[in-house]
Amino acid sequence: MSARISARISARTLRYLIVIGLIALWELLPRSGLIAELFLPSLSSTLMAGWTDAGEYGHALAVTLYEVVVSMSFACGGGILLGAIVGSLPGPRVLIMPMVSSLYAVPLVILYPVFTVWLGIGSESKIAFASIYGFLPTMLATAAGIQTIDPQLLLAARSMGATLSQRLVRVIIPAAIPTVLSGLRVGGALVIVGVVVSEMLISSAGIGYLISRYRTILDSAHVFAGVLLVLFLAIGFNAIIRWIERKAAIWQTGTRGGQANDEIASGAMQPAT
Amino acid sequence: MQPLANVTPLKPAARAGAIEVKNVGQVFKTRSQDVVALEDVSLEVKPGRFVVLVGPSGCGKSTLLMMMAGLRQQTAGTITISGAPIPQPDPDRVGVVFQEASLFPWLTAEDNVEFPLALRGVPKAERRAKAQDALKLVGLEGFGRRHPHELSGGMKQRVSIARGLVQDPPVLLMDEPFAALDEQTRMTMGDELLRIWAATGKTVVFVTHSLTEAVYLADEVIVMSARPGRIVDHLQVQLPRPRTYEMLSGDAFGSLRDRIWRHIRKSA
Repeated sequence: MSARISARISARTLRYLIVIGLIALWELLPRSGLIAELFLPSLSSTLMAGWTDAGEYGHALAVTLYEVVVSMSFACGGGILLGAIVGSLPGPRVLIMPMVSSLYAVPLVILYPVFTVWLGIGSESKIAFASIYGFLPTMLATAAGIQTIDPQLLLAARSMGATLSQRLVRVIIPAAIPTVLSGLRVGGALVIVGVVVSEMLISSAGIGYLISRYRTILDSAHVFAGVLLVLFLAIGFNAIIRWIERKAAIWQTGTRGGQANDEIASGAMQPAT
Repeated sequence: MQPLANVTPLKPAARAGAIEVKNVGQVFKTRSQDVVALEDVSLEVKPGRFVVLVGPSGCGKSTLLMMMAGLRQQTAGTITISGAPIPQPDPDRVGVVFQEASLFPWLTAEDNVEFPLALRGVPKAERRAKAQDALKLVGLEGFGRRHPHELSGGMKQRVSIARGLVQDPPVLLMDEPFAALDEQTRMTMGDELLRIWAATGKTVVFVTHSLTEAVYLADEVIVMSARPGRIVDHLQVQLPRPRTYEMLSGDAFGSLRDRIWRHIRKSA
């Protein structure tokens, strides 16, 4: 037992050391001239670039955040709703699941130019694209979560006189939460990818737009400042999901939800551009 | 509570806990054919008896239990519990204990035991008190705050039994409750169940695959044949109570077990 704990502690310290080492390398390699500043600007010059144009980055972050939050509510709300329907009714399942599965193989980013034609190059087209992008894994996870509920639990609830609505509220929803959350984790990450990528392609605002614009004028420090912001966005999102997971799924021993998570994650990461 | 007009009133207390199964049949309709799971099954269980159903896999013994629980309706015949038919689950009359994994993993042991009470809106304080009593009865006092994954297999089944007993129904139906447990735990749980049964005086119908368990626990053993399920023997186990481990090697025990085994080998 104590050996395991000490192994975990050292693994954790090791992780920190690796991160610190990478940060140090980021500063030292460009400074020593081993890597040209054009390819990798040093950390200090990246931070400096971000600091001097803080207003511009702040505005871009606000635009991106707005798009992420709206897309995420569409993707997660729609994904959970449709996933619940598909997961609990065999009719829609037979109809929809094969379509969704084949849709998974399509690089959805090809739709983005179409969205800009329909919705313009403002936030609307990013939200439409990112919502659809994050919707699929959320829906699939919710459907899987509801389909894989142990029928013994439902039978036990029925034997105790639970009505249909009591079974839904007291059994189906709590039993599905861990799998749904793991779907939200993947779906939410894809929403961020979707927003940033679409901003980089055709856009007039947002962090992706800034990265793309500074790249065309070869201002690497400003490009990396944008990259750093996206990184923080993703880390922040992950922290929020972790917090929800801890709150909502204390009972989860990691077997069922964990498996579903891996399965979905490996499938979902394919279409990332 | 106001009695509903269309509910058959329960007969006097003398019938409480009695089970009557008359000419019951069950046919599963599949697309290609009709499968007869049970055919003309009749049996009577007197209040307070411990009855064990045994038979080869697929003989319909679990199906019969599900019908007694109101979880499935027979296609022929009648079943009455405490003198009234059971068209749907009625936890006031029948408690059900399933195989291992039927506890809700997101609830603590005491919340699991309170679950049937919570479904009917029993106030929190009363619920907690009843759950504590039930947990105490099954020997789990002080474990109420644990989640199922923090309990051993035997403890989980104790929680299941407590959940089945919490509304104090006269009948307890048990569907292979100890099947997933290891041999030693299974023996201990058998003794525990007999202790709880003696303390509460419930009518118990217990489904199992284990012939030893059947003879060890039962007042009566009902042997069923393979599909279509029929009753092929109904044994009275005259061994004295309390049952002890030494009886397992006795002649009386052995001959009862052999008799059941011959029926099962014939039909399997």
